[in-house]
Amino acid sequence: MSTTKPPALVLSRVNARFADEKQAFALKDISFVVPAGAFVSIIGPSGAGKSTLMRVILDLMQPESGTVVRNFSRPAMVFQNYALFPWLTALENVAFGLRMGGMKRSERERIAREKLKEVGLEHLESHFPAALSGGQRQRVGLARSLAISPDLLIMDEPFSNLDTITAEALKADLLRIWETYGLTILMVNHLIPDAIELSDHIVILGAHPGHVEKTLAVTLPRPRDIRSEPFFEQVDRLTETIRKIS
Amino acid sequence: MVRSVSHGQTRAWRRAHEERHRRTWLIMAGVVGAALLLWVSGYFREVTWLALLGAVFQTTYRLAFAYAIAAALGVTIALIVGWSPFADVLFPLFDILQNVPSFALFPLFIYFLGYTNQMIILFAVSSIVWPILFAVLTAIKSAHTDLNDAATIFGARGLRRIRYYLAPLSFPAILTGSIVGIAIGWESVIGAEIISNTSGFGAFIKNVDASGVSPAAIAGALGILVIVFIINRLVWAPLLSNSKHYAE
Repeated sequence: MSTTKPPALVLSRVNARFADEKQAFALKDISFVVPAGAFVSIIGPSGAGKSTLMRVILDLMQPESGTVVRNFSRPAMVFQNYALFPWLTALENVAFGLRMGGMKRSERERIAREKLKEVGLEHLESHFPAALSGGQRQRVGLARSLAISPDLLIMDEPFSNLDTITAEALKADLLRIWETYGLTILMVNHLIPDAIELSDHIVILGAHPGHVEKTLAVTLPRPRDIRSEPFFEQVDRLTETIRKIS
Repeated sequence: MVRSVSHGQTRAWRRAHEERHRRTWLIMAGVVGAALLLWVSGYFREVTWLALLGAVFQTTYRLAFAYAIAAALGVTIALIVGWSPFADVLFPLFDILQNVPSFALFPLFIYFLGYTNQMIILFAVSSIVWPILFAVLTAIKSAHTDLNDAATIFGARGLRRIRYYLAPLSFPAILTGSIVGIAIGWESVIGAEIISNTSGFGAFIKNVDASGVSPAAIAGALGILVIVFIINRLVWAPLLSNSKHYAE
């Protein structure tokens, strides 16, 4: 008998308004599914309500109508602007979620050190966020998320504030972590090659208000060769689709 | 392997901080020098030092007491209101209340508490509390949405949110609110002492010379300046220096 895991997330005809502009719709009739263990990217132009969508998924704001089925209990998020607590050191930031969960200090620090080592920052554990570079802050954010053993990891444009070299290194780390942990990852992104390189599925959003234009599966075998012809073909096809939307 | 990272911004901040520190010491040295010159010239010869010291001590004690109450009250109210969903409703109400001039309420304090120590302290509390409350509330309201969301996602919910997120987030605001509040507090305490003519430095300068400008008044003002300087150097400067870790 085969047991199929239920999808990690199902959105069905979700409508939501902007938090600060009650009149305008941010999301209109959003429906898509995130399979458990999959890497799903959401791409779309500015004004597609990507951040609002993330907040709805995480239950940080209520949708106006529609259904959100959440088959996850420990979501974590990596933020575009890092959102590290500036008064805590890198180690304390990573241990924050564990501390809120009531874990003993020695245990949570052990786990936090482990996660910092996993993202290559074990030597910077006593540094405050202000003394870290953008890439290092993003890695601390990733370690903070991994520390709580999430069953859904949401990433809001995690590479957009990073230089190319740092972004490439972080992408490689992310893929390794995704494969190791068997995580479900939902990533908001605006870089088409990144979405093709990393994702199993891509949800393309249109703007004003945000709506699903298309969902597509990326069938390229892993590990993906970003210099191969099929890769460029997929990038071209997706670029064309997005150009038509915008 | 990178062992440490240092940014230009941090160095620039340290340079500016050291420069400010140096200037403060220079000004203080000038004040002490001027006081010594006046002393040597015999200007303070008729000052009754014991009475003056007692008066300055009493004013400082009242201010310290009032600040402790106002800080506890202001920070607690601001954290609870900032944590609750009623912050947007209560903010304008607080704004109206803080705009009522403290001295306009002075007759009410006298009516209910008489010419007492408690009256002066509570009157000072009523003026110190606002800058602290508003600084903390503004810091909470203006926190970045991402930081608020991160706190929620990683479990800072319920009352834990106050202790582990809102309180440290507000720390720099508590300091700046306190510094402004204490500056207003000196005025309130001394003003209340002058009006009620009970005791303390306000009553001392009122009684020593009707014109208000006398060697005793000058000596007292210089004494208060020294106290302000010492509090600044020993309390606020180290705390402000530490608070740079709390800035986003």
